Amino acid sequence: MNQAPHGHTEQGDATGVSLLRVSKTYGLAIVLQVDHLLFPFGKVTGLVGENGAGKSTMLGILAGTVSPDRGGTVEIEGSRIATGEPVASQAAGIAMVSQEFPLVGQLSAAENLTLGLKPKGLFVNRKAMTAAARQMLGSIGLDIDPRTPVSALSIPQRQMLEIAKALGRDPRLLILDEPTSALGPIEADQVIMIARQYAAQGKAVIFVGHRLAEVRRAADQVIVLRNGRLVAEMNATEATDERLIQAMAGHELAISSAADDGDPAAKKSVFEARDLTAEGLGPVSLAVREGEVLGIAGLMGAGRSRLLHTVFGAIHATGGTMTLAGQSFSPRNPGQALDAGVALVPEDRKQQSILAAAPVRNNATLAVLRRISRRGFLSPATDRVKALEYVAPTGARFASIEQPIGSLSGGNQQRVIFGKWFAARPKLLLLDEPTRGVDVGAKAEIYALIDQARAEGMAVIVVSSELEELFHISDEIAVLRKGHVRRVLRREEFSKERVLLAASGLKETP
Amino acid sequence: MSETAATDDGASVGLAAGKPTWKSRIRKVIDIPESGVVAACVLVFIVVTLIKPDFANVSNLQVIGVDLALYGILAVGESIVILTSGIDLSPGSVVALCVMVTAYLNANENIPVGLCIAASVLIGMAIGYLHGWFITRLDVPPFAITLVTLTAAAGGALALTDGQSITGVSSFYTKIADTKTGGVPVPAIIFAVIAIAAWIFLERTYVGRQIYAIGGNREAARLAGIPVNRRVVLPYVISGACAGVVAVIVIGYLSLGSPDVGSGWELDAIAAAVIGGVSLYGGEGRIVGVVAGVLLLMLINNALIVLNVSSFYQQVALGLVLGIAIVADRVRARSRGRARPRGLPLFGAQGSPAAAGAAGAGQAPGAGHGAGE
Repeated sequence: MNQAPHGHTEQGDATGVSLLRVSKTYGLAIVLQVDHLLFPFGKVTGLVGENGAGKSTMLGILAGTVSPDRGGTVEIEGSRIATGEPVASQAAGIAMVSQEFPLVGQLSAAENLTLGLKPKGLFVNRKAMTAAARQMLGSIGLDIDPRTPVSALSIPQRQMLEIAKALGRDPRLLILDEPTSALGPIEADQVIMIARQYAAQGKAVIFVGHRLAEVRRAADQVIVLRNGRLVAEMNATEATDERLIQAMAGHELAISSAADDGDPAAKKSVFEARDLTAEGLGPVSLAVREGEVLGIAGLMGAGRSRLLHTVFGAIHATGGTMTLAGQSFSPRNPGQALDAGVALVPEDRKQQSILAAAPVRNNATLAVLRRISRRGFLSPATDRVKALEYVAPTGARFASIEQPIGSLSGGNQQRVIFGKWFAARPKLLLLDEPTRGVDVGAKAEIYALIDQARAEGMAVIVVSSELEELFHISDEIAVLRKGHVRRVLRREEFSKERVLLAASGLKETP
Repeated sequence: MSETAATDDGASVGLAAGKPTWKSRIRKVIDIPESGVVAACVLVFIVVTLIKPDFANVSNLQVIGVDLALYGILAVGESIVILTSGIDLSPGSVVALCVMVTAYLNANENIPVGLCIAASVLIGMAIGYLHGWFITRLDVPPFAITLVTLTAAAGGALALTDGQSITGVSSFYTKIADTKTGGVPVPAIIFAVIAIAAWIFLERTYVGRQIYAIGGNREAARLAGIPVNRRVVLPYVISGACAGVVAVIVIGYLSLGSPDVGSGWELDAIAAAVIGGVSLYGGEGRIVGVVAGVLLLMLINNALIVLNVSSFYQQVALGLVLGIAIVADRVRARSRGRARPRGLPLFGAQGSPAAAGAAGAGQAPGAGHGAGE
C-alpha cells in the first residue's frame, strides 16, 4: 500500500495515539483506509481535507462512535483500546469537541461542564460545581456566568464551552473538530493558543480546520486526507496554502478575485438604513448599491447577525428608517421583507435553513411556494420543474430532486439554499456566514454565486468571521462593535489591522 | 474532489434507478413509509376472513365503516396538528361538548337541525382557534392548553344536563348516520370526502406545504417568510371542526345526545396517526397513512369482537400495534440514514455522530459526512 509518506511515524509507538491498518467501508465504498498514522504526544497535528475526505470517519473511529472494519486497531501508548465504543475511548483518554454541540440546553453552563464528571456524594453541591466551572471557564478565557443556561449562550460561546468541557476531562488525546468555524478571529486565536498549550503539557492534540492559515498556526505537523487516504504529511513550516490546497483537491484550484469595478457613482443605491436600532443594535446607518457587496466584520456578539435579522424583519426594529429601492421599508416579519425583495441566508444551516428530512425539491421552493401556486394550488409536476430551475444555476449536485437535503454535503446544501433565495428574485441579498462548514472547493463556488448575484444587480450584505473572505468578496466593509458601525473601509483601505482595531474598539495609531 | 464527492452522494441511488432489480423494487416499496400499515390492513383482513367468513359480510363491513368515520375524521384533524409538531388532546371532549350543546339546542330550544349542525362545526372551530391563539400568542405548550379543554369541555358536557342524556333530537340526525348509498354508510362517505380534502390540502396547496415546513424546522420556515403563527393556528381550527362533524354523526348514531361519548377518542386518533406514519416530531406523514392507520385499528378492534376476544385484550392489541408501528418507523428511519429531524428539546434532538455514521451505510463517501455536517 504505497499511499503516503510516513515521515516520523514508526511501528509500535509508545509516544502517542496511533491508528494501525484502519479502514472503513460502507457497502462497496471505502471511506477511509490508513495503514499507519501516529498522533504524537506533545504535538498538535493539523488535519485537513475536503468534505467527504474521511476526516469525520477517522475522528469517529478515534472517539469510538464509528466502528472500523475488522482488523484495524487504535492504540494509545502502544496498548490497544476497544474500537466502536465511545465509553472505551473516553476511558482511554480521548476527548472530542465536535462541530455539533451536544450540550443540554436547559442546564446551566456549570452543569454542562460537570455533567460527565463523577459527583461526590448523592447530592449536587451547587457552590462547588459553580466554582469548578468558573475555573474551567477561566482557563479558556470565556467570560460568562457559569449559571447561565446554555440555551441563552451564543453559538461561539457554546463552542468555547464545549472545549472547556473536553479539557475538563483531562484527555490524553484532544480532538478539536473545526473548533474555530463558529468563532471570530480573536476567539479563534484563543482556541489556537489553548491547543498549543495543551500539547505543550505532553498531550496529543488533533486540530481539524477549513481555514488553512489557522491550521498552520495551530499545528506542528499537518496531515492531508483525500478520498479516505493519507495523501500528504508535512511540517507546519513547509505547509503553504498552495501545497495544502493542491494536496486536498488533487489539482490546482484557482480562486479568482471577484472585484468588478464599475463606476460606483453610476450605480443606484438599493438599500439604505438610517439610525436603525433594535434591541442590542445601533443606531446603525449604512448603504449598499446595486451590484455591490458590503461586508460586515466584527467580533462575536458585535450584533452582525442581529443587523441582518433586523433588516429582514425577523427582529423588530425599534427605531430609524430603511429604504429599499427608493421606497420606505419597514418589515414587521420575514414574509413582508421577502415580498419587498429581501432574502436572508442564515448563519446556521441546520437550525435555520434546511428541512433536513424533506426532499431537495421542497427546500428549493420553500420561499416562493405562494408565488408558484395557482390560486393556492400546487401541482407536483410544475413544482419539480420549478425546483430544478431554481437549483440548476447554483451547480448543486444530487442524485434526485426527491433526495432528502440532509443527505447532501454541506456545500451542496448551501447551493440549494442559494437557489431557493435566488428564486425569490431579491433586490437585497443578506448572507450570514455563507461559507461556514463548507470545503475549499465549495467555497470558491459560493463566491461565484455571490458574483452571480451582483452581476444580476442585487445588492449583497455579507457577514463573515473570515477576514480573508470579506477582503476577497467585498467592495466595502463596515466594522461593527457592540451594535455600532465603528468604521467603514473602502476596498483600497482593506487591512486586517484596521478591521481588528476597529472591531476591538482600539484607536488606530498613525 | 468536491465534484466527485458530490456526484458520489447519490451514485448508489442512481445505480438503483438504472437497472431495477427485484431487490431494488422491494426496497422501493419498503421505503414508502405507509407500506407497512397497508400490508398489515390486508393481512388482518385476509386472516380474520379465513377464520371467520362472517367478518367480510356486508353488514359487518358497514359497522366498521361507521366506526371508521368517527375515529377517522378525528384522526385526520389530529394528524394535521401533529404535522406542525403540536398535539391536540381535546377532540374527544369537544365531541362530547358539541353533542350536548347542539342536541340541547335542537331538542329543547327547537333550533332547526341545519343550524345545529353548523353550530356544532363552528363550536369546534372556535375552540380550536382559542387553542391556536394561546399557543402562538402566549407560547403555551399545545399539550397543556388542549389538556385544559380535555378536562373542561368534558365537564361542561356533563354539567349542561347534570349528566342526563337529551332525547327527542331531529330524525335527520339518525338519517345521516343510518342511510346507506350503494351500501356505503353516509358517515363513511363523509370521512372519505374529508380525507380527500385533507390530502389535497396538505399535498397540493402551498399552505399545506408550509405546514409541513413548520413541523420540519420552524425557524427555517419563519426565515423563509412563512407566516408561522397563522399556519399553526389553522390545524387546531381544522381539528376542532372535525370534532364538530363527528359530534353530528354521534348524535345520529345514538339518536340522542349523551355526555358520555368521546372519552379517550383523542388517544385513538393520535394512535392512528402514529401508526399511519405521522411523526410526533412533526413535518412527516401523509393522509394515506393516517387512513390506513385508522382502518387497521378498526379492523383489529372489530376482528377481536367477531372472534369473541375479551374487550380488555382489545386495548392490549391496540398498544402492541402502536408499539410495533413506532419501532418500525425508527428502524426504517435508521436504515434510510435519516437522522431525526429536530426533535422535542427534551429528547436531545441533534443527530448523533453514530447516526451520521449510519447515514453512510450503503452510500459513497460523501454522503456520510454530508449528513454529519
